Amino acid sequence: MNSGNAHDRALHLIAQGRVEGIAETDSTWLRAHLEECEFCTKHARQTDRALQSLRTAVIPLPDGLASRTQFRVQLRLHELREREPQRRALWAACAVSWVFGIASAPYVWRLFQWFGERTGVPKLVWELGFGLWWTIPALFVLIVLLMEKVRQGGEPDWMRQSK
Amino acid sequence: MPGPTMFFSTLMSDEAKTIARGLQKRYPDLLDRLIEQYQYRLFRYLVYVTGSRERAEDFFQETWIRVLERGHQYDGKSKFEAWLFAIARHLVIDWQRSKKAQSLDTLTDPEQEHPLQLANENEPSPLHQVLSQETQENVQASLRKIPAIYREILVLRFQEELQIDEMAGVLSVPLSTVKSRLYRGLEALRGALQGGAA
Repeated sequence: MNSGNAHDRALHLIAQGRVEGIAETDSTWLRAHLEECEFCTKHARQTDRALQSLRTAVIPLPDGLASRTQFRVQLRLHELREREPQRRALWAACAVSWVFGIASAPYVWRLFQWFGERTGVPKLVWELGFGLWWTIPALFVLIVLLMEKVRQGGEPDWMRQSK
Repeated sequence: MPGPTMFFSTLMSDEAKTIARGLQKRYPDLLDRLIEQYQYRLFRYLVYVTGSRERAEDFFQETWIRVLERGHQYDGKSKFEAWLFAIARHLVIDWQRSKKAQSLDTLTDPEQEHPLQLANENEPSPLHQVLSQETQENVQASLRKIPAIYREILVLRFQEELQIDEMAGVLSVPLSTVKSRLYRGLEALRGALQGGAA
Protein backbone atom coordinates (compact mmCIF):
# COMPACT_ATOMS: atom_id res chain seq x y z
CA MET A 1 0.00 0.00 0.00
CA ASN A 2 1.46 3.36 -0.95
CA SER A 3 1.72 6.20 1.56
CA GLY A 4 -1.23 8.24 0.17
CA ASN A 5 -3.59 5.27 0.29
CA ALA A 6 -2.47 4.46 3.84
CA HIS A 7 -3.29 8.01 4.99
CA ASP A 8 -6.68 7.92 3.25
CA ARG A 9 -7.47 4.61 4.88
CA ALA A 10 -6.35 5.86 8.28
CA LEU A 11 -8.43 9.06 8.05
CA HIS A 12 -11.46 7.06 6.98
CA LEU A 13 -11.00 4.59 9.84
CA ILE A 14 -10.57 7.42 12.37
CA ALA A 15 -13.98 8.80 11.37
CA GLN A 16 -15.57 5.37 11.05
CA GLY A 17 -14.34 4.43 14.51
CA ARG A 18 -16.20 7.39 16.02
CA VAL A 19 -19.33 7.04 13.89
CA GLU A 20 -20.08 3.33 13.70
CA GLY A 21 -17.08 1.44 15.06
CA ILE A 22 -14.39 -0.59 13.24
CA ALA A 23 -13.34 -4.23 13.13
CA GLU A 24 -10.51 -5.49 15.33
CA THR A 25 -8.18 -6.02 12.35
CA ASP A 26 -8.76 -2.44 11.18
CA SER A 27 -8.23 -1.18 14.70
CA THR A 28 -4.89 -3.02 14.96
CA TRP A 29 -3.78 -1.66 11.60
CA LEU A 30 -4.83 1.88 12.57
CA ARG A 31 -2.94 1.75 15.88
CA ALA A 32 0.21 0.63 14.07
CA HIS A 33 -0.22 3.39 11.47
CA LEU A 34 -0.78 6.09 14.10
CA GLU A 35 2.42 5.11 15.88
CA GLU A 36 4.33 5.96 12.74
CA CYS A 37 2.32 8.81 11.22
CA GLU A 38 2.34 12.22 12.89
CA PHE A 39 -0.18 13.72 10.43
CA CYS A 40 -2.84 11.07 11.07
CA THR A 41 -2.19 11.11 14.83
CA LYS A 42 -2.81 14.85 14.84
CA HIS A 43 -6.01 14.32 12.82
CA ALA A 44 -7.21 11.68 15.31
CA ARG A 45 -6.46 13.99 18.26
CA GLN A 46 -8.32 16.87 16.62
CA THR A 47 -11.32 14.65 15.97
CA ASP A 48 -11.39 13.46 19.59
CA ARG A 49 -10.97 17.00 20.87
CA ALA A 50 -13.84 18.17 18.64
CA LEU A 51 -16.13 15.45 19.98
CA GLN A 52 -15.07 16.10 23.54
CA SER A 53 -15.89 19.80 23.08
CA LEU A 54 -19.28 18.94 21.65
CA ARG A 55 -20.05 16.53 24.48
CA THR A 56 -19.12 19.05 27.16
CA ALA A 57 -20.86 22.06 25.58
CA VAL A 58 -23.44 23.33 28.08
CA ILE A 59 -26.65 25.13 27.24
CA PRO A 60 -28.28 26.81 30.25
CA LEU A 61 -31.97 26.05 30.77
CA PRO A 62 -34.40 28.97 30.98
CA ASP A 63 -35.76 29.53 34.50
CA GLY A 64 -38.92 27.62 35.26
CA LEU A 65 -39.10 26.00 31.83
CA ALA A 66 -40.24 22.66 33.22
CA SER A 67 -42.82 24.10 35.63
CA ARG A 68 -44.30 26.41 32.97
CA THR A 69 -44.53 23.49 30.55
CA GLN A 70 -46.06 21.23 33.19
CA PHE A 71 -48.69 23.88 33.88
CA ARG A 72 -49.58 24.18 30.18
CA VAL A 73 -49.70 20.42 29.74
CA GLN A 74 -51.97 20.02 32.77
CA LEU A 75 -54.30 22.71 31.41
CA ARG A 76 -54.50 20.95 28.08
CA LEU A 77 -55.05 17.63 29.81
CA HIS A 78 -57.93 19.18 31.73
CA GLU A 79 -59.46 20.45 28.47
CA LEU A 80 -59.13 17.06 26.82
CA ARG A 81 -60.74 15.30 29.77
CA GLU A 82 -63.62 17.76 29.80
CA ARG A 83 -64.31 17.05 26.15
CA GLU A 84 -64.10 13.28 26.49
CA PRO A 85 -67.74 12.67 27.58
CA GLN A 86 -69.00 14.87 24.70
CA ARG A 87 -66.89 12.97 22.24
CA ARG A 88 -68.07 9.63 23.62
CA ALA A 89 -71.70 10.77 23.33
CA LEU A 90 -71.06 11.82 19.73
CA TRP A 91 -69.62 8.43 18.77
CA ALA A 92 -72.44 6.63 20.58
CA ALA A 93 -74.99 8.70 18.64
CA CYS A 94 -73.18 7.85 15.40
CA ALA A 95 -73.15 4.15 16.26
CA VAL A 96 -76.88 4.17 17.02
CA SER A 97 -77.51 6.08 13.81
CA TRP A 98 -75.56 3.58 11.71
CA VAL A 99 -77.21 0.58 13.35
CA PHE A 100 -80.59 2.15 12.76
CA GLY A 101 -79.57 2.97 9.18
CA ILE A 102 -78.59 -0.63 8.43
CA ALA A 103 -81.69 -2.08 10.09
CA SER A 104 -84.02 0.29 8.29
CA ALA A 105 -82.28 0.16 4.88
CA PRO A 106 -84.79 -2.22 3.16
CA TYR A 107 -87.74 -0.14 4.36
CA VAL A 108 -86.13 3.16 3.40
CA TRP A 109 -85.32 1.70 -0.04
CA ARG A 110 -88.97 0.76 -0.52
CA LEU A 111 -90.06 4.17 0.70
CA PHE A 112 -87.79 5.92 -1.83
CA GLN A 113 -89.00 3.53 -4.55
CA TRP A 114 -92.64 4.22 -3.70
CA PHE A 115 -92.02 7.96 -3.60
CA GLY A 116 -90.14 7.84 -6.93
CA GLU A 117 -92.98 5.94 -8.63
CA ARG A 118 -95.63 8.24 -7.18
CA THR A 119 -93.89 11.43 -8.30
CA GLY A 120 -92.53 10.06 -11.56
CA VAL A 121 -88.94 10.91 -10.64
CA PRO A 122 -86.29 9.01 -12.71
CA LYS A 123 -84.94 5.87 -11.02
CA LEU A 124 -81.37 7.29 -10.83
CA VAL A 125 -82.59 10.32 -8.89
CA TRP A 126 -84.38 8.42 -6.11
CA GLU A 127 -81.47 5.94 -5.95
CA LEU A 128 -79.12 8.89 -5.42
CA GLY A 129 -81.49 10.15 -2.75
CA PHE A 130 -81.21 6.80 -1.01
CA GLY A 131 -77.38 7.02 -1.19
CA LEU A 132 -77.49 10.52 0.27
CA TRP A 133 -79.63 9.23 3.13
CA TRP A 134 -76.77 6.88 3.99
CA THR A 135 -74.09 9.54 3.91
CA ILE A 136 -75.92 11.95 6.24
CA PRO A 137 -74.49 10.50 9.53
CA ALA A 138 -70.94 10.53 8.11
CA LEU A 139 -71.34 14.12 6.91
CA PHE A 140 -72.69 15.12 10.29
CA VAL A 141 -69.66 13.60 12.06
CA LEU A 142 -67.29 15.29 9.61
CA ILE A 143 -68.88 18.69 10.27
CA VAL A 144 -68.69 18.20 14.06
CA LEU A 145 -65.02 17.14 13.87
CA LEU A 146 -64.14 20.11 11.67
CA MET A 147 -65.90 22.46 14.06
CA GLU A 148 -63.93 20.88 16.93
CA LYS A 149 -60.66 21.46 15.11
CA VAL A 150 -61.52 25.10 14.45
CA ARG A 151 -62.53 25.52 18.11
CA GLN A 152 -59.14 24.14 19.23
CA GLY A 153 -57.57 27.22 17.73
CA GLY A 154 -55.71 25.80 14.72
CA GLU A 155 -52.29 27.40 15.01
CA PRO A 156 -50.33 27.42 18.23
CA ASP A 157 -49.24 30.75 19.75
CA TRP A 158 -45.65 30.56 18.55
CA MET A 159 -46.78 30.17 14.96
CA ARG A 160 -49.02 33.22 15.15
CA GLN A 161 -46.27 35.26 16.80
CA SER A 162 -43.80 34.46 14.05
CA LYS A 163 -46.01 35.82 11.26
CA MET B 1 -26.43 -16.10 32.16
CA PRO B 2 -27.48 -12.85 30.43
CA GLY B 3 -24.79 -10.18 30.16
CA PRO B 4 -25.07 -6.61 31.47
CA THR B 5 -25.95 -5.28 28.00
CA MET B 6 -28.97 -7.55 27.81
CA PHE B 7 -29.94 -6.63 31.36
CA PHE B 8 -29.90 -2.89 30.61
CA SER B 9 -31.65 -3.43 27.30
CA THR B 10 -34.48 -5.30 29.09
CA LEU B 11 -34.67 -2.56 31.71
CA MET B 12 -34.92 0.12 29.01
CA SER B 13 -37.54 -1.83 27.16
CA ASP B 14 -39.60 -2.17 30.37
CA GLU B 15 -39.23 1.56 31.01
CA ALA B 16 -40.37 2.35 27.45
CA LYS B 17 -43.40 0.07 27.83
CA THR B 18 -44.29 1.71 31.15
CA ILE B 19 -44.07 5.13 29.50
CA ALA B 20 -46.22 3.94 26.58
CA ARG B 21 -48.92 2.62 28.93
CA GLY B 22 -48.83 5.83 30.97
CA LEU B 23 -49.07 8.03 27.89
CA GLN B 24 -52.01 6.05 26.57
CA LYS B 25 -53.82 6.68 29.85
CA ARG B 26 -52.52 10.26 30.04
CA TYR B 27 -51.25 9.98 33.60
CA PRO B 28 -50.47 13.53 34.79
CA ASP B 29 -47.70 12.40 37.15
CA LEU B 30 -45.93 10.55 34.37
CA LEU B 31 -46.05 13.61 32.11
CA ASP B 32 -44.65 15.80 34.87
CA ARG B 33 -41.84 13.34 35.47
CA LEU B 34 -41.01 13.05 31.77
CA ILE B 35 -40.90 16.83 31.35
CA GLU B 36 -38.48 17.08 34.28
CA GLN B 37 -36.39 14.15 33.14
CA TYR B 38 -35.99 15.14 29.49
CA GLN B 39 -36.04 18.94 29.82
CA TYR B 40 -32.35 19.49 29.31
CA ARG B 41 -31.92 17.05 26.44
CA LEU B 42 -34.96 18.25 24.54
CA PHE B 43 -34.15 21.91 25.05
CA ARG B 44 -30.52 21.40 23.95
CA TYR B 45 -31.67 19.53 20.84
CA LEU B 46 -34.14 22.30 19.98
CA VAL B 47 -31.54 25.03 20.48
CA TYR B 48 -29.19 23.25 18.08
CA VAL B 49 -31.94 22.64 15.52
CA THR B 50 -33.60 26.05 15.61
CA GLY B 51 -30.51 28.09 16.46
CA SER B 52 -32.63 30.21 18.80
CA ARG B 53 -33.19 29.98 22.52
CA GLU B 54 -36.61 31.70 22.43
CA ARG B 55 -37.82 29.56 19.56
CA ALA B 56 -36.50 26.45 21.30
CA GLU B 57 -38.52 27.39 24.39
CA ASP B 58 -41.73 27.68 22.34
CA PHE B 59 -41.11 24.41 20.57
CA PHE B 60 -40.29 22.77 23.89
CA GLN B 61 -43.77 23.53 25.23
CA GLU B 62 -45.48 22.60 21.97
CA THR B 63 -43.61 19.31 21.88
CA TRP B 64 -44.95 18.28 25.28
CA ILE B 65 -48.49 19.32 24.34
CA ARG B 66 -48.10 17.10 21.27
CA VAL B 67 -46.77 14.27 23.46
CA LEU B 68 -49.93 14.56 25.57
CA GLU B 69 -52.24 14.57 22.53
CA ARG B 70 -50.45 11.88 20.53
CA GLY B 71 -49.21 9.76 23.42
CA HIS B 72 -51.34 6.82 22.30
CA GLN B 73 -49.18 6.56 19.16
CA TYR B 74 -46.04 5.68 21.14
CA ASP B 75 -45.87 1.89 21.35
CA GLY B 76 -42.82 1.52 23.61
CA LYS B 77 -40.89 -0.50 21.01
CA SER B 78 -38.33 2.26 20.48
CA LYS B 79 -36.59 4.59 22.92
CA PHE B 80 -38.86 7.30 24.24
CA GLU B 81 -36.31 10.01 23.51
CA ALA B 82 -36.13 9.00 19.83
CA TRP B 83 -39.91 9.42 19.57
CA LEU B 84 -39.74 12.69 21.50
CA PHE B 85 -37.06 14.15 19.22
CA ALA B 86 -39.01 13.04 16.15
CA ILE B 87 -42.08 14.95 17.41
CA ALA B 88 -39.97 18.03 18.14
CA ARG B 89 -38.34 17.84 14.73
CA HIS B 90 -41.69 17.55 12.94
CA LEU B 91 -42.94 20.63 14.75
CA VAL B 92 -39.89 22.57 13.61
CA ILE B 93 -40.35 21.32 10.04
CA ASP B 94 -44.05 22.29 10.07
CA TRP B 95 -43.09 25.75 11.27
CA GLN B 96 -40.40 26.06 8.61
CA ARG B 97 -42.89 24.94 5.96
CA SER B 98 -45.46 27.43 7.11
CA LYS B 99 -42.83 30.15 6.88
CA LYS B 100 -41.06 29.22 3.71
CA ALA B 101 -43.11 26.41 2.17
CA GLN B 102 -40.09 24.15 2.04
CA SER B 103 -38.93 21.23 4.12
CA LEU B 104 -36.23 21.51 6.76
CA ASP B 105 -34.13 18.97 4.86
CA THR B 106 -34.17 21.00 1.68
CA LEU B 107 -33.55 24.17 3.59
CA THR B 108 -30.80 22.95 5.81
CA ASP B 109 -28.97 20.54 3.56
CA PRO B 110 -25.84 22.35 2.37
CA GLU B 111 -25.71 19.98 -0.60
CA GLN B 112 -28.94 21.54 -1.87
CA GLU B 113 -29.05 24.80 -3.73
CA HIS B 114 -30.60 26.90 -0.98
CA PRO B 115 -29.15 26.11 2.43
CA LEU B 116 -31.15 27.39 5.37
CA GLN B 117 -29.82 30.47 7.07
CA LEU B 118 -31.09 30.01 10.59
CA ALA B 119 -29.77 33.42 11.49
CA ASN B 120 -28.38 36.44 9.74
CA GLU B 121 -24.65 35.80 9.40
CA ASN B 122 -23.88 39.46 10.05
CA GLU B 123 -25.68 39.55 13.38
CA PRO B 124 -24.71 37.63 16.51
CA SER B 125 -26.44 34.27 16.19
CA PRO B 126 -28.98 33.41 18.91
CA LEU B 127 -27.13 30.12 19.25
CA HIS B 128 -24.00 32.10 19.85
CA GLN B 129 -25.80 34.23 22.43
CA VAL B 130 -26.90 31.07 24.21
CA LEU B 131 -23.52 29.47 24.15
CA SER B 132 -21.54 32.61 24.85
CA GLN B 133 -22.85 32.53 28.40
CA GLU B 134 -20.43 29.69 28.84
CA THR B 135 -16.68 29.80 28.79
CA GLN B 136 -16.16 27.48 25.85
CA GLU B 137 -15.65 30.22 23.32
CA ASN B 138 -13.86 28.08 20.83
CA VAL B 139 -16.67 25.53 20.74
CA GLN B 140 -19.28 28.25 20.43
CA ALA B 141 -17.63 29.84 17.46
CA SER B 142 -17.08 26.47 15.81
CA LEU B 143 -20.62 25.24 16.25
CA ARG B 144 -21.91 28.42 14.66
CA LYS B 145 -19.98 27.59 11.52
CA ILE B 146 -21.59 24.16 11.10
CA PRO B 147 -24.81 23.92 9.05
CA ALA B 148 -27.89 23.13 11.19
CA ILE B 149 -28.41 19.75 9.57
CA TYR B 150 -24.96 18.61 10.73
CA ARG B 151 -25.31 20.18 14.15
CA GLU B 152 -28.51 18.22 14.58
CA ILE B 153 -26.99 14.89 13.64
CA LEU B 154 -23.90 15.46 15.78
CA VAL B 155 -26.10 16.27 18.76
CA LEU B 156 -28.21 13.16 18.26
CA ARG B 157 -25.17 10.90 17.95
CA PHE B 158 -22.58 12.34 20.31
CA GLN B 159 -24.69 14.10 22.93
CA GLU B 160 -27.84 12.01 22.92
CA GLU B 161 -25.92 8.86 21.99
CA LEU B 162 -28.69 7.53 19.78
CA GLN B 163 -27.90 4.56 17.56
CA ILE B 164 -27.75 5.05 13.80
CA ASP B 165 -31.06 3.23 13.21
CA GLU B 166 -32.72 5.33 15.92
CA MET B 167 -31.44 8.50 14.26
CA ALA B 168 -32.80 7.27 10.93
CA GLY B 169 -36.19 6.98 12.65
CA VAL B 170 -36.00 10.48 14.14
CA LEU B 171 -34.88 12.07 10.87
CA SER B 172 -37.03 9.86 8.59
CA VAL B 173 -34.07 9.20 6.29
CA PRO B 174 -32.24 6.00 5.22
CA LEU B 175 -29.31 4.66 7.28
CA SER B 176 -26.89 5.56 4.49
CA THR B 177 -27.97 9.21 4.68
CA VAL B 178 -27.50 9.24 8.45
CA LYS B 179 -23.98 7.83 8.05
CA SER B 180 -22.96 10.22 5.29
CA ARG B 181 -24.28 13.20 7.30
CA LEU B 182 -22.41 11.97 10.35
CA TYR B 183 -19.12 11.69 8.46
CA ARG B 184 -19.58 15.13 6.94
CA GLY B 185 -20.71 16.62 10.22
CA LEU B 186 -17.76 15.18 12.07
CA GLU B 187 -15.38 16.55 9.47
CA ALA B 188 -17.14 19.93 9.56
CA LEU B 189 -16.87 20.05 13.37
CA ARG B 190 -13.20 19.05 13.34
CA GLY B 191 -12.45 21.56 10.62
CA ALA B 192 -14.40 24.30 12.38
CA LEU B 193 -12.64 23.70 15.69
CA GLN B 194 -9.28 23.51 13.98
CA GLY B 195 -10.03 26.80 12.20
CA GLY B 196 -11.20 28.36 15.45
CA ALA B 197 -8.06 27.32 17.24
CA ALA B 198 -5.78 28.60 14.50
